[in-house]
Amino acid sequence: MKTTGKKTWEKVRGPAICIVSAVALLTLMALPSAANAATLAGNSHTYLQSREGTDGSNLMPLIEYLDLTVQDLGSESISLHFGGWLGYDVQDESFGLDKNKDKSIQYGYVSYRAKEHNAVVNLGRVMVFEGVAAERLDGIYARTDIAGGFGISVFGGSSSILNDEPADNMTYGGRLSHQSAGLYTIGLSYLKQEKNSLAFREEGGIDLWVRPVNKVELMGRSSYNADTKGWMEHAYYLVLGPFDKLRFNTEVSHISYEDYFAGITTNAFKLTPGGPLDPKEKVDILGEEVFYSINANWAVSVDYKKYGYDIAGSASYYGAKATFTKPKAYSAGISIHKMDGENERLQYDEYRIYATKKMDKLDVTLDLLDVKYKEAINDVTNAYSASVAAGYALTEKLKIGLDVEYAKNPDFDKEVKALAKVDYSFDLGSGAGKPKEGK
Amino acid sequence: MRTIAIKLILLLLLPLLALAVYAPDAAAAAPAMKHPVEVEAPVICSQCHQDWKAAMDHTAEFGKLRHKFMAFQNKQACGVCHVESFCADCHTQEESLKPSDKYKGSPERELPHRGDYLNQHKIDGKINPASCMKCHGRQNNERCAICHR
Repeated sequence: MKTTGKKTWEKVRGPAICIVSAVALLTLMALPSAANAATLAGNSHTYLQSREGTDGSNLMPLIEYLDLTVQDLGSESISLHFGGWLGYDVQDESFGLDKNKDKSIQYGYVSYRAKEHNAVVNLGRVMVFEGVAAERLDGIYARTDIAGGFGISVFGGSSSILNDEPADNMTYGGRLSHQSAGLYTIGLSYLKQEKNSLAFREEGGIDLWVRPVNKVELMGRSSYNADTKGWMEHAYYLVLGPFDKLRFNTEVSHISYEDYFAGITTNAFKLTPGGPLDPKEKVDILGEEVFYSINANWAVSVDYKKYGYDIAGSASYYGAKATFTKPKAYSAGISIHKMDGENERLQYDEYRIYATKKMDKLDVTLDLLDVKYKEAINDVTNAYSASVAAGYALTEKLKIGLDVEYAKNPDFDKEVKALAKVDYSFDLGSGAGKPKEGK
Repeated sequence: MRTIAIKLILLLLLPLLALAVYAPDAAAAAPAMKHPVEVEAPVICSQCHQDWKAAMDHTAEFGKLRHKFMAFQNKQACGVCHVESFCADCHTQEESLKPSDKYKGSPERELPHRGDYLNQHKIDGKINPASCMKCHGRQNNERCAICHR
């Protein structure tokens, strides 16, 4: 019975998203008056990339990214949201041999949004960012403000990440928050993930944002792993400013590897004793960034981050950056950073300079990046790339572009990548509720 | 399967109960919340707002540092200006193009993995593997699996 149910669930999980979308669209079509009021807007990004694989293959993927939003679907409070991509191999196996990897539905859900109380119910493939949860689920997400400054959110469904797993999977949780507008927000969150009806992840967390006085903000969170019974992470940031032209950011973090790297879906983070990363390792991170706005266009910053480990040696990362920005005309920056690990194999210097200029309908960008490794990799210590990007707006909604990147690095003596793109934004209906382009 | 169904029903009931108690008349629903005026980059909210919204200033460090806390606590505020695909450009489950490749024309954005990151990640990943884990530990790790079998 369980096996039958599992198979049934796995079969309906994917199509469920399509059904939800189809029902919403059919509703739109069946209600002429509603259809008249509805608006559909979105963006299409078409890319054709040419690059060489590390095995010498010539890869040429053609990829279509589409996102759309249908607002006022029968009622002003109901909308439909979709985002995903579809790939096609023009040459060689750009997406690998697994044909399921040439497409992805990033999100696709019907949303109900109430007039007040920030009440929202999303149904379909939803992206959930709530406290300890950063999940993509085939299921439901709902939140609302409740009395006395409290808010509550719940979510549940099947993790789209684990869809390939030969087992049932279920993720659910929620967050209870309290806020005093402009002063603080504090949240308690919980997440449990089951795989084959067995606990896979169980986490709880506290998140905090406090603004006791103007120009002083403390934000961060602590996450607890109920499976390993230990704190995964404490990460807090103090943001001060701007004081005239100065702004300070201070970071204090603590991570316990044994508790943090649990419930993973890739062997890259499967830490084993004697491996490059000790599972018993703990790290304290202390960072400081200082920003100084010279004037409306120029800004400089310096940053420093110290990594202190229980087992391995310490490391630091530091550098400086200067930027120039003139909205709708120029943007430029230059930066230098140094990674200073415990040995030469973990050290590099990074230099970057970029500039972009917009001229009426044309924009041109130049980006140079140079990384000098202290210890040679494949007999190479200097890896650099130079890219040129150009875009031209044919109309207000249609833009074409071409990027070319030349690089030399430990894997390629000479690497040339090219990317042609067509961006189109569409807006059908009254134009109300038109989603902005993704920036 | 039965357990899952029960949990899903309970999850459905909770928000519906909350909405039934506290939400207003659905028939009187208002248009989706959007920022009342067009905002151009760089977005400095404190130019107009002096309350908590000033904390949303999109200064240089907002992309790599502060935006995640705003999203984890108050994602609906992001939706005032951004559609969800803006998040999905980077926070994706399966990706075929690096964000820094998709947006080469926006070099000022703090997009990860520029240049020779295939080799650089071996250093960054050992110094601070948690920074990789946030995006690749449980999703978007098809490329990781090519070498990390």
